[in-house]
Order: sequence, then structure tokens, then C-alpha cells
Amino acid sequence: MAPATVLVVLAMYLPVIYTVYLSFTTYGGLGSPEPAGLSNYVEMFADTAFLTAIGNTLVWVLGSLLVPVGIGLLVAYLSFGLRFAGWLRVPFLVPYALSGVAVGVVFSFVLQNDGALSQALAYLHLPGSETRWLQEAPLNTIVMILAASWQGIGVNALLFTVGLQSIPKEPLEAARVDGASGWRLFRHMVWPLLRPSTTIVVGLSIVNSLKTFDIVQAMTQGGPNRVSETLGVTMYRDTFVNSEYGLGSAVAVFLTIITVAASMLYLRRQLSIGEPKGATP
Amino acid sequence: MKFRRALVATALLAAASLTATACSSGSSPSSAGSPGSSSEKPTGTLNFVNDKSWDFKAFSTVSQADIGIGLNPTTYADQNAFVAFVKQSFRTNKAPGLFTWHTGGQLEELVKQNLVVETTPLWDEAIKQGEVAPSVRDLYTIDGKQYCTPISVDDWVMYYDKKMFAQYDIKPPTTWDEMMQAAATLRSHGIAPFWSSGGNPWAFVWFQILLAGTDLQLYKDLSTGKASYTDPRVVSVMNTWLDMEQKGYFSDPGSKTQPEEQMKSGKLAMIPFGTWYASTMETAGLKNGTDWGVFTIPAVNPAQGKTPVAIETAPACVAAKSEQKDLGLAYSAWWMTAQAQTAWSKQQGNLPFNPQAKASTETFQQVGQELADTNKYETYLRYYEATPTPILTTALDQFTGFMTNPGDPTKYLQGIQDEAQSYWAKN
Repeated sequence: MAPATVLVVLAMYLPVIYTVYLSFTTYGGLGSPEPAGLSNYVEMFADTAFLTAIGNTLVWVLGSLLVPVGIGLLVAYLSFGLRFAGWLRVPFLVPYALSGVAVGVVFSFVLQNDGALSQALAYLHLPGSETRWLQEAPLNTIVMILAASWQGIGVNALLFTVGLQSIPKEPLEAARVDGASGWRLFRHMVWPLLRPSTTIVVGLSIVNSLKTFDIVQAMTQGGPNRVSETLGVTMYRDTFVNSEYGLGSAVAVFLTIITVAASMLYLRRQLSIGEPKGATP
Repeated sequence: MKFRRALVATALLAAASLTATACSSGSSPSSAGSPGSSSEKPTGTLNFVNDKSWDFKAFSTVSQADIGIGLNPTTYADQNAFVAFVKQSFRTNKAPGLFTWHTGGQLEELVKQNLVVETTPLWDEAIKQGEVAPSVRDLYTIDGKQYCTPISVDDWVMYYDKKMFAQYDIKPPTTWDEMMQAAATLRSHGIAPFWSSGGNPWAFVWFQILLAGTDLQLYKDLSTGKASYTDPRVVSVMNTWLDMEQKGYFSDPGSKTQPEEQMKSGKLAMIPFGTWYASTMETAGLKNGTDWGVFTIPAVNPAQGKTPVAIETAPACVAAKSEQKDLGLAYSAWWMTAQAQTAWSKQQGNLPFNPQAKASTETFQQVGQELADTNKYETYLRYYEATPTPILTTALDQFTGFMTNPGDPTKYLQGIQDEAQSYWAKN
């Protein structure tokens, strides 16, 4: 067997199989796992905090599509063709060099009660200085999405810029000659021609937001009282905080199924749009 | 074709997602030093895996000079990563010669699986020599045998800002009513009387103080599943907590600013913590005796007779599979001696558990003498160790919810009771 195959089996397939196996057991990290049938899955769905985590994760998916992807596209499109566009995009790209945890730590100090944001609002006599940004749901999830967006806009803008650069000039010029401009030009010409980039950016955004963990763990630990928990945080909490490896694995399997299903549905749809009519699947 | 491409892409995503779960974090400690000989006095370098931010390297020079054993500490800043590493290490030949842990259910878990070395002979000798109180041994006893030994045993006291107390003419309170009067005075001057924090691990602090201070037996019954969290007596304790919340007696539970920094900036007057906290205060530049002092936390209900004092202990354990068992046991025995405890107190500024050892500060010498009066004080295990992990985790969440949105405590208590019921049904 080729070394690469061995590596893939050891690093990718075995952990997956082991996790699926663990999800049907009771295991505290010591001794041997005990068979538990479907009890972990039953317990998982019976937990109201798990249902909250599903809801929050969906908010993360929607928020990540609206803000970092949307603004990323806006930044790329508005700066495209400008003389110093590269320099305009640099400030958006710099945060991408930080880790999610670092962003979380920084923003938790900014957004904590009486933190930098509250103090700034109070200084400027603006409303909101008493707002508990990280303690009220769904406000805490929304501000965490905005914090994550601060980091994610730049790379999305970069990917869209590459996409814009790869669009052939002729059809755009033809459209302009025909009188298309502004929103009409974007909606009917640029947007369809940008589809390969959009597919990548949106696909990555869906997957990344479904497994959101680091920034939430750093900013609220899913709290207070589990109101801002995402599925990634639930998985971590069950596995490593409570040492319920079976339950944590069940959450991991569920999260994986959701991620796979969402990715497949999205990619299949996008790829089928690109295929000529009449092609067989 | 397009279906296959989608399938391959999604399979890779799935594998990446699951791999992250299956591989627990943590790395092996470096294996420095020799295991030492199996003769009476082993010497060498002992691998010590821990979750404490204490300066074990400095302490290693003391033990090296005294018994010829140095420490090679590996410290984990993240508690969950630390626990995952230790559990994982039991399955390998890298099981540490010495590692820190927690008493209560977490120690019981290791003992059930025969993963730690029995230390009964060390305890017998230490008790015989008068180096440790028998009540401490109880914390380390499972089915009549002892496992692990203490690095420190810390009593929970109230740290207070001496200058602030002097400024408002407040004397260290000796009764609950006096403490509430002090709180009212401080609040009227815009100062948060007591530190309070949500989240893991400190959300339990005021529940512990109020419940044990009101009814210690009820506290013990809750931690063993004999009482319900929805018991009217528990609800009443929560209402006392709520009353204090509504009077503005607590600091912001959502603040990320450390309590010693809040005290230093003049916003906070009192912090309930174990005696280990002294070194943190010193590190923050707050001087013992001039900036801060301590007093024992009065009982809410004086009719209990003795004042309950929470204790916590930091155990050091020897892994049964470790190649450094001899070194680990020798070090464990030494750490309980008066010489080691005096040096440890000197380094940490805390209260030594060995009655023959000398506390490094006058503050703790007085506290040590006072708490030694068993007619006046009764110790109990801190909530964090006394409560089984799944119930603890839920309780920390629910207490945080209660602190964040103070109101009717019933739903929060019901949330904990649901978890407790499920846990005690299985255990």
C-alpha cells in the first residue's frame, strides 16, 4: 500500500469510523466503551440546549452568507478596476492573519459589559452603552457573527476579485454598448459570470459556519446558560468538559451529516447549473 | 460525473470534520531524567504533568537539594485539554510519574479503573507523624484506602481591601449580619461589595457559600443525590442570593476583568477564594497586610453551631502504569513533610496544611490558628469537587443564567435537578 494511502486511512478514515463507533457507546475516556445502542442520539435530541445549538448554527450559516460573503462581494466589486484597489483591499485582508481564538479574545474585551465599545458609546453620548452585548440572546450570536465577519470579509473579497479578473471583457463591453450599467449590468452579466467564484466562496462559508467553534468558545463558551452554543461547542462540551465521549461523538456524527448534506445539495445544484442541458448525472 | 465530484468533495469535508472530534488534543510531555533506582531512596528527575500556573521549577530546586529529586513540569493552561491528555496517557507507557488531579468523583473514576497507585502507607506515616489532619485524609479515601497525596489544602476565606474598609470605617465582619451591613455601606459608596463570576468554573461560589452557610447537611445531601435542587430550602437559599443580587451586592458576573484587578482599581471590596489566591494577589501588586487581609466567611445561619468552611485540595497522583512510580511516591511523601510545606508556603504565600509547617505570612498564621479550632469551624468539600461532573457542568450553566438574568430561581433549579435525576438514576 502506498504511504499516502496509509496516511489517509490512519489520519482520516480510522478516526471517522472510531467516532461513529463511539457514538453508539457510553465512554468516559477511561476503560472500555460500553455498547449503548441509540441512547446517545435519543439523549441528544431530547436536550433543549441541543435544539438551541441547531438554531444558533443556522443563524451562523445565514449570517455568514449575508455579512462576510455579501460585504466581501461588495468590496471586491466596488474596488474592482480602481487605480489603488489593492491598497483599498489590504485593510480587509489583515485580520485574516489572526486565528479565530485571537479574534474572539480581542472582541470579548471590546464587547464585554463596560468594555471598550460600551465606554466609547458612553463617551460619545450615544445609546447602547448599557447593552449587554455578550449576555443577551440572540444579540450575542449576532455580534459574534459580526466579529467573525471582520476577519472573513477580506479573504472573500480576494476570492471574488480573482473571479472578477477572470471574467472575459468582451461580453461585458457588449452589454455596456447595449446600454447596461450599474445594477442591471451586475445582475444580468457580472453575477452569472462570477458563478465559479461564488460557488467556492458560498460553499466554504456554509461548511465553515456549520462547524463554528473557536470564536464562540473564546467569547462566550456558548453561554450564558448555553444560549449562544453552536453544534461545534456542544460537541466539545459533551466530549471534553463532561467526558461523555459517546454523546459528543453522536453530536459530531450529526454535525457531519448536516455538513455533508448541505454541501452535497449546494454543490450538486451549482454543478448542474453549469452543465449543458441533457447531460446525464 | 458531477455527482461523483460532489461526493468526493463532501467526503473530504466529512472526514476533516470528524477527524477533529476523534483526535483529542494534547501532546506528550518530554521524558527527561532517569526513573531512579528501586532502592530505598530513588533520585532523578520526575515528570510532573499539571494544570496549575504555579512555579514548580522554582520548587524543584528545593526538592532537588532536599531529597535529590527534581521536577520536570509540563503545565496545561486549558483544563479540558489537561484532563484529555491525562486520560489518554493511561493507555500508553507515557503515564506521568506525578500529575495533579481533583478529589471527589474525578478521583473515584481513576480508582475504579485501577489507574492510580494506592498511597495508604504514606498517609499512615504522615498521620502518625502529625503532619496532616485525619479530616484531610477523608478527602483522599475511597473504599477505606487512600490514593494520591495533597500538594496543598486550601480553606476558603474572604479577601478584603484593607484600605477601603478603613476609609469607610468598616471592621472585618464576624457575623453574616455584619457582613451584609458592610455590603450596604460599600454599595452606598458605589463599590461592588462582593466578587461574583459566571461561567466555568466560578459560577458556583455564592451558591456554595449561601447553601453551606445556611444548612450544611442539605449541601452534603445535594452532592450525594439525597436531596433535590427543587427542595423549598434550596429555593429559599436562591432567594437570598436573588435578594443580594437585587441590592447590587455583586460585581458584574459577565466581566472579563480579573477580580484582583477590579479590587486594585477600587471597584471591588471583597473576594471569596481559597488561600491559594494569596499568590495571585501578590502577583497583581497587592500587598498582604497593607492592601488586603482575610476573614473567615461567617455562617448565614448561626444556629448551625459551627461555621462551615469550604476546603479544596490539590492532589498529586502517581499513575499505576508509570515507569516513575518510585520517584512519584517518594516525592509525594516528601511534599507532605513540614520542611516541604514550609518551603511551599514561602513560595506560594498560602496556608500550609501540615500543622508543623510555618505559614509564610502573619495573616495566614492567624487564620491557620483560628481555623484549627474544630469546636468553632467545620470543613466541607468545595462544590466543584463535591458535585459529580455532569451535574456540576449543568449547575454552572444554570447559575450563570440566574446571575445574568436574576429572577425566579425555580426554572434554573429545575434544570439542574433534571440533570441530577438522570445522573443519580445511572450511578
